Amino acid sequence: MIKFKHIRSRIAFTFLTVVVAIQLAGLIPLKYALVKHANTLAEDQIDVGQRVFVSLLQHNTQSLKQATQVLAADFAFREAVATNDAETIESALESYQGRIRAQIAFYISNDENLVVGTSDAKAILKSLDARQAIIQSNAGTLQFDIVDDKPYQLITVPVKAPETIGWIVMGFAVDSQLASQIKQLTHLDVTFVQKTNVKNWQLVSSTADKALSNLLLKTVADLYRQRLTLHSVDLNDETYHLKIRALHETPDEALLVVLQGSVAPFTQDLNILFKVMLVLTLIGVGIFAVLIWYVSRKTTEPIAELVKDADKIAMGDYETEIQVSSTDEVGYLAKAMNGMREAVLQRSLRIQRLAFNDELTGLYNRLAFNQGVHQAISTHADSQQKLSVIVINIHRFKPINQTLGRDFGDDLLRHVGQVLKQHVLSEKDMVARLDADEFAVLLQQTDQAKATRYADKIQQVFEQPVSVQGQAIDVRTGIGIALYPDHGMDEEALLNHAETALQESRAKKSPWIVYNTALEIDQSETLTLISDLKQAIQHDQLLLYIQPKIDITTRRAVGGEALIRWVHPEKGMIFPDQFIPFAEQTGVISDITNWMLLRACQVLADFQKQGLRLSLAVNLSTRDLNNMELPAQITHLLSSHGLEPKALKLEITEGSLMQDPERAELVVKKLAAMGLHLAIDDFGTGYSSLAYLRQLPVQELKIDRSFVMFMDKNSGDASIVKSTIDLAHNLGLMVVAEGIENEYVLNQLARLGCNEGQGYFIGKPMPEKDFSIWLQRWEGQNEIEIDIGDDLSFAINPLEADPQPSDPFKLDNI
Amino acid sequence: MAWTTLQRRCLVALLLALTSHGIMAADVTVMVTDAGGKPVTDAVVAFYDSKTPAVNPNAAGKIIQKNKMFNPKVTVVQTGTSINFPNEDSVRHHVYSFSPAKKFELKLYSGVPTNPVPFDQAGVVTLGCNIHDSMVGYIYVVDTPFFAKTDDKGKAILKLNDGQYTYQAWLPGQNKPAAEQKITIEGVTEVKIPIP
Repeated sequence: MIKFKHIRSRIAFTFLTVVVAIQLAGLIPLKYALVKHANTLAEDQIDVGQRVFVSLLQHNTQSLKQATQVLAADFAFREAVATNDAETIESALESYQGRIRAQIAFYISNDENLVVGTSDAKAILKSLDARQAIIQSNAGTLQFDIVDDKPYQLITVPVKAPETIGWIVMGFAVDSQLASQIKQLTHLDVTFVQKTNVKNWQLVSSTADKALSNLLLKTVADLYRQRLTLHSVDLNDETYHLKIRALHETPDEALLVVLQGSVAPFTQDLNILFKVMLVLTLIGVGIFAVLIWYVSRKTTEPIAELVKDADKIAMGDYETEIQVSSTDEVGYLAKAMNGMREAVLQRSLRIQRLAFNDELTGLYNRLAFNQGVHQAISTHADSQQKLSVIVINIHRFKPINQTLGRDFGDDLLRHVGQVLKQHVLSEKDMVARLDADEFAVLLQQTDQAKATRYADKIQQVFEQPVSVQGQAIDVRTGIGIALYPDHGMDEEALLNHAETALQESRAKKSPWIVYNTALEIDQSETLTLISDLKQAIQHDQLLLYIQPKIDITTRRAVGGEALIRWVHPEKGMIFPDQFIPFAEQTGVISDITNWMLLRACQVLADFQKQGLRLSLAVNLSTRDLNNMELPAQITHLLSSHGLEPKALKLEITEGSLMQDPERAELVVKKLAAMGLHLAIDDFGTGYSSLAYLRQLPVQELKIDRSFVMFMDKNSGDASIVKSTIDLAHNLGLMVVAEGIENEYVLNQLARLGCNEGQGYFIGKPMPEKDFSIWLQRWEGQNEIEIDIGDDLSFAINPLEADPQPSDPFKLDNI
Repeated sequence: MAWTTLQRRCLVALLLALTSHGIMAADVTVMVTDAGGKPVTDAVVAFYDSKTPAVNPNAAGKIIQKNKMFNPKVTVVQTGTSINFPNEDSVRHHVYSFSPAKKFELKLYSGVPTNPVPFDQAGVVTLGCNIHDSMVGYIYVVDTPFFAKTDDKGKAILKLNDGQYTYQAWLPGQNKPAAEQKITIEGVTEVKIPIP
């Protein structure tokens, strides 16, 4: 099968094939008919020629007969005959023979007693069957004979006195003269051939050229033998039709006349006719081809248009309506495609709505926001206009959600979204919810001044408690601002930088922060740090810090949290949040954890030597929790240092559990089985539920410092802390509070039943060697001022304290 | 058939009676028929005997040319008879004969030629007209007084005496007798001549 790229090619090809086939079907029989016709014409010519030939001979015979009859009727001749006057007869015959140009002349009497011939004829008289001639003459047939090896036509006329008394016979040679005479009339070549009892077939005379006539001779002989009278023969690339007629035949002798006509003159004319037909056919096919092409094009053009339209739809252009111009099948198809396009458009719009909208708030989602920023950047690219991306985060949304209910949380988010939306600067500005409690705002054509004004406005709004479901609640926000093009050339960079600024805003408790490069750790610096870090472990550049922890009820020291510091030979002191994330990513964290565990065990061994029953808590990272070898390593460490398992506490963040929960659970269960004390760190910042934690063999919950720090000023925070403590106790967990910065909070926690606590009020993270000094001082202090008053809450001002985070080892530290 | 003596005697007596009257000429009817038994018209019959001398009656006959035909077409005459050829047509005729029995020529004439043509020699004389090829006539010149020409019923009547004869029968246009035979005429009134 032939494959066509276009329908019109297929149509054109099919029809053209049919047309050419029809034309061929016509032309081939035409050619055949023309050849046949030429042959028929040639045969007709031969037939006509033969009739002409016969009638010519008859005519000749008639006139010769009449001429001869004149002699026969002559009275004097008859008298000579009657009186047997041979001499007179002979002379009369001679004179007549000359007059009618006969070659033979003789008289034969009825009873054959008297035979008189002219001198020429005398010799041949012997071989002549005179009686036969006379009989034939009476029969009225043409009469030929071969006399003395020469063919003659014989004319026989009776001599009457008044009854027939004898016969005059005149003989006329069958020669080239006769042949050419016939040719003139018939336009056919004439050949006489004869056979005698003496000689085989021989040419008598011919109007055709010698070569041809000689070639004919043999053919004719064969044909005569087969008694064929009509035949066509190919000679010298030409077809000849032959008509053979016997003029005289006896068993021994034969005289034949052959009329030959060439087909060529007829085929010539017919060939011209055929060529004309062929040319006309070609022209016809050409015209038809053009017409077919035109018609098929006309037919398939609308389809091609539809294909273009379908391509457009395939490219995602659902907006352009397909023009329906015709009412035929193509029109229906176009209509159907339009319907399809409409349906796809509606569906894609719905999908878009789902894909780009946040269902909860009705705001855009992250994806839509990214696209919006992208689009805004591309339209702003030329105009030198700035635009700003603002990321807003609600502090402590998680506990609000958990304690006040999900419905409440949802309403709060909707409310915040509305507030953000109400204050945008123009119609084109976008507000999106990126994450649970994180919103983003795109302000078009805004410089830094306008952006910060917007941030201030939001800040102001939330200074008043928000009323949701009839409850007033304080909403605290962090705001990070990034500007295009100053802080990033694409949506990703802008959003990342805005988030970095947001982190900073939360960390510094500023209402908002505009991004600046100082917020970032230099990437190249980071890379250097990673390689340096590996060396740091080997070269003992790491330091173990300990933040003390007390029993809130008794205010006695129970131990501390082991923390790490890195003293870089060039950069000086480096805090964990600057290298722990990279250590996590590169896997160096395992070495760090090992180092920490070892150092913690050494310190605990020291405590044991001094008779102090203190514990140390070490933080485990995600990687550590996935390390199946960890339990064995810890067992080894504990036994080699002669320590009880409960002396070592391990702190796990919610996030680290979530990475590979099954594996983590396995490791955690092993550790718990070993009798180690496990704690959930930073509770309230992650998303794990208490129900999940209940399944884990943990003994302790550490409430994040962000809830604890301001619980003295914020009733909401206080209630969250309270409900968390209650929940934990209900689950049989002990609760440790972080971020205790004054005695009021300490007392508050004591009232709420919190088990242990740590914070600047108790003690900042300190080098391991300073811990014993703190311990002596704290224990002593507690012995003297067992009931510390509220006034002392200001003894340590948090703002004057070391600005570094109290718990810098934590990854998601604020 | 067994003949009784009486019957034989009676027949002999009858024959004798006839013979006694045989000197007297009697009419004999001759019937000429062709091979198919059909009567032949215009056949010439002649009876020869050795006794009867040729009688030349010097009689004259005539053959009229009318409607470009010889009338009668066939004529039988005894040797020595002269025949005239009166022309009753409005056209002229040129009557001739190349026959060996009598060659003559009456050059273009009309009316009655002055001299009749004598036919002295027995034989067939074929008459023609040089002007009109279709005119053919025959004169049979016989050397006996007993001759006749058959009518349209093939019959001819001759007066013959009893005796020995040789008869000849001629058909028109033939140079030789078609039949020739000896015959005895004794009280015979009818002779049948079949032509083979």
